[in-house]
Amino acid sequence: MATEAATQPRIRPEWIDFLVAQLIALAGAFAFAALIGAVIVIAYGEDPLFVYRTVWAFGTSRPQDFAIVLENATPLIYSGLAVAVAFKAGLFNIGVEGQYIVGMAAAAAAALTLSGLPTVLLLPLVIVAAMTGAMLWAAVPAVLKVKTGAHEVVTTIMMNGIAVSLVAWLILHPLRSDVTTTDLRTEDFPASALVPNLATSLGIEDVIPDSIVHLTWLFPIALVVCVTVWFMMFRTRLGYEVRAVGSSPGSAEAGGVSIGGTQIKIFLISGALAGLVGLNHILGDTGYLGSNYETGLGFSGIAVAFLGRNHPAGIPLAAILFGMLLRGQDGLAILTELPIEILIILQGILILSVVVAYELVSRALARRRQAQLGQAAS
Amino acid sequence: MPLIDLGAAIALGLRYFTIIYLTGLGGLFSERSGIVNIGLEGMMVVGTVMGAWGTIAYGPVAGLVTGAAAGLLFSLVHALATVTFKVDHIVSGVVINVVAIGLARFLSQLFFGQATQSDPGIPDFATINIPLLSSLPLGLGQAFKGMSPVVLVAFLMTMPALFVLNRTRFGLRLRSAGENPEAASSLGVRIWPLRYAGVAISGALAGLAGAFLAIEINGLFREGQTQGLGFIALAALILGNWQPLRLMAGALLFGIAQAIPLRLQDAPVISLLPEEFIRMIPYVITIIAIAGFVGRVQPPAAAGRAYEGAAT
Amino acid sequence: MAEPMTKDDAGRSGAPLIALHQVTKRFPGVVANDAVDLTLQKGEIHALIGENGAGKSTLMRVLYGLYPPDGGHIEVRGKEVKINSPRAALALGVGMVHQHFVLVDRFTVAENIILGAEGGPLVDLDRAVKRIEEQAEGYGFKVDARRRIDDLSVGEQQRVEILKALFRGVDVLILDEPTAVLTPAETKDLFANLRALKDNGKTIVFISHKLDEVLAIADRITVLRRGKVVGETTPQKTSKEKLAEMMVGREVLFRLEKPAVDAGPPLLQVEGLNLAGKLHDIDLRVGAGEILGVAGVEGNGQGELAEVLIGLRPPDSGRITLDGKDITGRSVRQNRRLGCAFVPEDRHERGLVLSMTLWENSVLGQQSRPQYLGGWGVLAIKRIKELATRLIKEFDVRARSIGNEASTLSGGNQQKLILARELEDDPRLLIAQQPTRGLDVGAIEFVWKQILEQKEAGRAVLLISAELDEIYELSDRIVTIYEGRITGEYSPQDPPEKLGIGMTGGRQAEREAS
Repeated sequence: MATEAATQPRIRPEWIDFLVAQLIALAGAFAFAALIGAVIVIAYGEDPLFVYRTVWAFGTSRPQDFAIVLENATPLIYSGLAVAVAFKAGLFNIGVEGQYIVGMAAAAAAALTLSGLPTVLLLPLVIVAAMTGAMLWAAVPAVLKVKTGAHEVVTTIMMNGIAVSLVAWLILHPLRSDVTTTDLRTEDFPASALVPNLATSLGIEDVIPDSIVHLTWLFPIALVVCVTVWFMMFRTRLGYEVRAVGSSPGSAEAGGVSIGGTQIKIFLISGALAGLVGLNHILGDTGYLGSNYETGLGFSGIAVAFLGRNHPAGIPLAAILFGMLLRGQDGLAILTELPIEILIILQGILILSVVVAYELVSRALARRRQAQLGQAAS
Repeated sequence: MPLIDLGAAIALGLRYFTIIYLTGLGGLFSERSGIVNIGLEGMMVVGTVMGAWGTIAYGPVAGLVTGAAAGLLFSLVHALATVTFKVDHIVSGVVINVVAIGLARFLSQLFFGQATQSDPGIPDFATINIPLLSSLPLGLGQAFKGMSPVVLVAFLMTMPALFVLNRTRFGLRLRSAGENPEAASSLGVRIWPLRYAGVAISGALAGLAGAFLAIEINGLFREGQTQGLGFIALAALILGNWQPLRLMAGALLFGIAQAIPLRLQDAPVISLLPEEFIRMIPYVITIIAIAGFVGRVQPPAAAGRAYEGAAT
Repeated sequence: MAEPMTKDDAGRSGAPLIALHQVTKRFPGVVANDAVDLTLQKGEIHALIGENGAGKSTLMRVLYGLYPPDGGHIEVRGKEVKINSPRAALALGVGMVHQHFVLVDRFTVAENIILGAEGGPLVDLDRAVKRIEEQAEGYGFKVDARRRIDDLSVGEQQRVEILKALFRGVDVLILDEPTAVLTPAETKDLFANLRALKDNGKTIVFISHKLDEVLAIADRITVLRRGKVVGETTPQKTSKEKLAEMMVGREVLFRLEKPAVDAGPPLLQVEGLNLAGKLHDIDLRVGAGEILGVAGVEGNGQGELAEVLIGLRPPDSGRITLDGKDITGRSVRQNRRLGCAFVPEDRHERGLVLSMTLWENSVLGQQSRPQYLGGWGVLAIKRIKELATRLIKEFDVRARSIGNEASTLSGGNQQKLILARELEDDPRLLIAQQPTRGLDVGAIEFVWKQILEQKEAGRAVLLISAELDEIYELSDRIVTIYEGRITGEYSPQDPPEKLGIGMTGGRQAEREAS
């Protein structure tokens, strides 16, 4: 019987097949979305190739443009990671939206109360405050899920709603600026609490002006965080247990893994990641927390996570893609008559196609491997 | 607190009940056929924008119809993804919600010239006063004055819904698709049309509810007006153990909760809270409700699981 | 033949009701049915036997329209037909009762029976109930059609499945391993019902691997091996040994070498174990070097017993002692640390994480041990892969590479991997729950040998099984479990009928019988 096995054709290792399948799915989904997009664009009397070229050009023609793309991508990387790590355990963290705004409020509170400290102390504390605030916000649905079984999709959405009101109150009352009377916002944060602009630090601010582009060190940090998350997921015991729980909770439990404990741990980590989402906005761009803070980053993170296949390698790429689409919206607004909502629709179609394409390809791959190995194994 | 405030709160609460109940009832049909539908919010959103358009163009009844139709068509995307392509139900639902926001902006720009809202003041329904009840003393009668006829329609949907579920062949088969599709399929029942139907019903009712929201409560389309009501409907459905009458009770609870920040700001205890905290009340009530009751409910046995077999 | 045959045309005696000619069915990598010829007569009970994987269920599923055949054809009443769905099969008068029932638990008996045959857009449950109960009585069954399925016993549920088919007017009823889930008494009732059906002119196909039963009930027996028909005979012309040989193709050992045990003090002691509704006052003891067999039909608390012992659930009251140490209520992790190992009933839900690789699965249960961790919770991947390679070699797990997903292994190899993993750390106590379910004879023998080796090494083994063959093969002592209670203690010398008493209520019934 052993010799039988030796004469069978070699089968490629798992992960190569997997990667190829993902790329095929992605290509197919892109083609499909691009096609639908082209149809819509033509219906508006514009030229689809021009539209796509404009989107591409607006994100890549000058270093400044690409820097804006990366700036857009930064919060989405953190947001996508937050959604993805929870998803690996089989949990849906739709509450990144609420978690990050609570994180921003916590960061603002820290920046304003500890304003005397030097940067080397203040900035890390502010970041920790953001992560902690968001983590606490995520703890509520996590604990409720484990202790009562309350589905985290409903509880996180409710927490989002509560967060909006809570942060609104914080901005209007305890954190409110005494100085400005017309804007609804906090004081400016001390300079020692701000994250340095990447271009300025690298000395290239003449090419990439820091008044227009707010690409900060949070971007390279985001990439480091991606690697850290990968390591945690695939090389540590926690990640192992998270994946086991997400894939086969019964077997994990029989292997001594505490399902509830693991779920809470990973949801807290997800919350902590969510806390980083809003930092580029308030510590790299505005320098204060205003009641017109940037919204929607939590939901975009979900799209980025799916597009990136919930993997720390795919997420930054997906985030950059989204960053490019966001930048391209500006270009379309200037250069065409198209309503910018077209791009939003296209994003939606793209996400849908990607999700369907991944499913189809995964199933086809599973069938093929079954057939191959059915012939090889006894 | 004058009871007339309570009456006003109940009246508004009944309108929110209508939204939550209709959406929840639609969700009931979807989930009992085996398709988990957390995209109800997105279907409602589509109903708001298309409902507003239909009303401006042709009047409130047409608005309800266009809202429902739009919700139904949009829901077919969810059906296609989950039933035919077997995408994870929650993933699809989340994507539906994300897409809906973009779609609504697009349509709003198209129809109203603005991305995030229509002009206020779209025509609404003539209101009715319930005889007898609207003359209740101490201001409680307020609860039954100026009621939208759609509220009554919502209540009246209960009997037909129960009848279809329990006394028709369609209802029996639909429920079997959600409990044990393998069993049903082994007897020659085709699963996919039942699930498509379940999702379509949920889309139509959620769209109807969305249109109602735009027409009768807000008087316009505005981005974000659904405020999580689709998820609250889900919570009501869970609380109601996927049964119409209990869903109604949950929807009443949550509907009144919605009205608290809007009509009962001066009530004792509540008036002590800052305004922003009052706005949190409906969400907090929802969380407490489902955290407290979830252990005792039983979803349809096969909900959320893709049906892998031949469709006969 | 211009006129289509109707169902009323009775088959002439001699001319078969159904004939399968050269039916072939292939799946990726395996030929499940290989040019099978089979005939079924009106008014007979025909047994289809073979070991797991021989193709018996597959063949009947082809007949029932669940799979299209890749070769050959089927004739019903002399006319060639294409059966491409269960609906078509039912229309031709062929019905099937699967091994795992397909009933909607939350529906009533009546709702389950009329599903798909409602007879109109509206459903009149009262009328349906009446019809069903009358029909059942006509066949000698008794049924309350208003009860919910999850309130019924397994035997009653099986009757519902049979009624489902009869309601649709079938002439041929296929039963797939019907007695796997029945007590000896329920099996007697079933056989009485089947004989009544046969007298009514129905044809029964009885798929089984239980040779004693087959010899008791069948009129004709067809034996399959690896997808081919290897023989057709009658109970008069054959014996259990001859059938077994045909099934397996070689002489089958019915008794393995089992060294006598010199059991010392109990390694595992269970006293007064209670779990609300599921376990009542369980007392057990297993000594070092002893195999205790817990025999019982599925669904009598075995699953809960295993889960409580390994630590997946805490008992409501009672005490569990391992080697003198009280481990009641301890977690799985703690119990594993103390030397408990667990081979679960459900490989997929409790044993392996199918989407993970073999090497990842091989450390499941041990992932918190220092030898598999570096600093800071990082996994020592190299050492884990070495572990996996060794396990696969020692237990002859057929796998291409340890980097493949566990889902790519066959059932037997998955079970071997689980066993290898659980035995790796020299456990003091092995809890084995239905360890050979769904395995072919080669894998069964391997697993049995491994369990006996544990006994020889002085470990304690708690064997929970519904297969009496297995219980008899391996156990030094046997207890029976029924409705969550230990109902009798026996030795492997006791005949199965005695065990049957314990499996169905115990000493009380015994007293009543004497």
